Amino acid sequence: MRKFIVLIVIAIIVVIFLSTGVYQVGPSEVALIKTFGKYSYTTGPGIHFHLPYPIQSRVIVDIQSVRKEEIGFRTVTTYGKVTYRSVPSEALMLTGDGNIISVEAAVQYKVKDPVKFAFNIISGKDIVRFTAESVLRERVAVRKIDDVLTIERDKIAQETAQVLQEILDSYDAGISITNVYLQEVAPPDDVVAAFDDVNNAKQDKERFVNEALKYANDIVPKAEGQAEQILREAEAYAKQKVLEAEGETRRFLSVLKEYRLAPEITKTRLKIEKIQEVLSDIKKVFILDKSGTLKLIDLNQFIGGGSQ
Amino acid sequence: MSGKLITTIVIIVIALIILSLSIFIIDQTEQAVVLRFGEIINTYSEAGIHFKTPFIDNVKKFEKRILLYDIEPEKIITEDKKTLIIDTYALWKIANPQKFIETMRTKALAESRIDDIVYSHIRNVFAKHTFDEIISDRREEFLREVTKLSREDLKDFGIEVVDVRVKHADLPNENIRAVYERMKAERYSIAAQIRAEGQKEAQKIRAEADKKATVILAEAQSKAEQLKGIGEASSTRIYAEAYQQDPEFFEFWRSLSSYNDIFKNGTVILGDMEILKYFSK
Repeated sequence: MRKFIVLIVIAIIVVIFLSTGVYQVGPSEVALIKTFGKYSYTTGPGIHFHLPYPIQSRVIVDIQSVRKEEIGFRTVTTYGKVTYRSVPSEALMLTGDGNIISVEAAVQYKVKDPVKFAFNIISGKDIVRFTAESVLRERVAVRKIDDVLTIERDKIAQETAQVLQEILDSYDAGISITNVYLQEVAPPDDVVAAFDDVNNAKQDKERFVNEALKYANDIVPKAEGQAEQILREAEAYAKQKVLEAEGETRRFLSVLKEYRLAPEITKTRLKIEKIQEVLSDIKKVFILDKSGTLKLIDLNQFIGGGSQ
Repeated sequence: MSGKLITTIVIIVIALIILSLSIFIIDQTEQAVVLRFGEIINTYSEAGIHFKTPFIDNVKKFEKRILLYDIEPEKIITEDKKTLIIDTYALWKIANPQKFIETMRTKALAESRIDDIVYSHIRNVFAKHTFDEIISDRREEFLREVTKLSREDLKDFGIEVVDVRVKHADLPNENIRAVYERMKAERYSIAAQIRAEGQKEAQKIRAEADKKATVILAEAQSKAEQLKGIGEASSTRIYAEAYQQDPEFFEFWRSLSSYNDIFKNGTVILGDMEILKYFSK
């Protein structure tokens, strides 16, 4: 009986001992198995067994998950709500033309070689972070502030990713940079107002031009209308002159035709008729003759039959 | 029987203890130095099982991986007497554990040494260049020089400098103020220029429009005069053609028709005028 208990105890100790060699590898992970401290092979996801301590040991590395380093900002999760907090000391960078700009970037990477990653470097996270910061600043420092703000954004991200990868490869770090995303690229808070003013100025410029165009669009057609009016008036005047002339001359010619039949009689008739017509309303006529004497003409003498 | 068994177990246990004292395991991430009474008798950089003399030999293990040492930011003065705050870090590893243990003993001591040497080279190299050069593509080149010099100096300590890099190169706070002020002034001047350009363009458009309107009116006026002239010419010709058929009668006729106007008012004073002959005749 005592023997039996001893055997059970020994069996339990052996099982516990062997169980140190049982391990599980998650779906995104690999396990690096070391035999007496020396790397010997890699296993994938699943339940596995290796020889118990101290013969074999394992290092588990996540090779699928995308890891992230944030430069210039931090993601803050409070009660499931994601907010971002700026870290100006990291974000502010010097540009090539001596200005300062705030650049925020996210670097995504994963382990491409778990053996190198586990055995060649220690603080992979810090190495990625420091190197990314260093490269990003260099890429920003060789550009002008306006280019960083606008057209060169993509290029900076691309170059940073590329150079970062080269440097990490030179360390044999086993890290693959998947992406460098530039987040907010903006002028520092202190000078934002001044930058905004430039944008406002552009709007103002547009406005000035549009207002002027409005004026032009108003004044030119008006002038054209006025011009039309002037021309029509002139045409009317010309037509009127011609028509008047035609009328008057036709009248004259008609009378002339009759006149020729009996010139003297007609002349006298016309004269008398006219004088009658003209002087019928007139009371007195003074005539200044060659001798300078003012004569009063009694109209009744001329025409006869006046009441006075 | 049981006495024999106990003896066997004791022997096995003793053997195991001696064995465990005479072997040591070096991890993939480590390297080791074997010391005998303080004297280095062997170094191992290969992972696996190794042997030593129990009780006499002492094993010291060191990291084999690349280590990161973040150097505190320091002020440096460039060739053109500008101040920059440079935040550097160094990647290094223990390349020669034997030399390392002879000269450094601990990682902390090594780091302070790295700090001194790297910082001094940074300062020396950067001080030979202008601010603009440091903030340019050439920084990489200077850092390579710093790395090379530091590597040279630290080689004797069993340390290999893998890389020296600048994390930040910033202006001191008082200079940042000045930069901000300059940036602001620059932007406001750009804004002013843009507005002035807008005004210029607007004025141009207005002037152009004014000119166009004036020309349109003037052209119309000019054409109107021509039209009137043509009308007047036609009417003159018509009159002339008609009246010249009998100038004498025309004169008579025309004079008569003018009387209506002349005698419009009640009282009239007439001078020695042509038309008066009709009164005297």
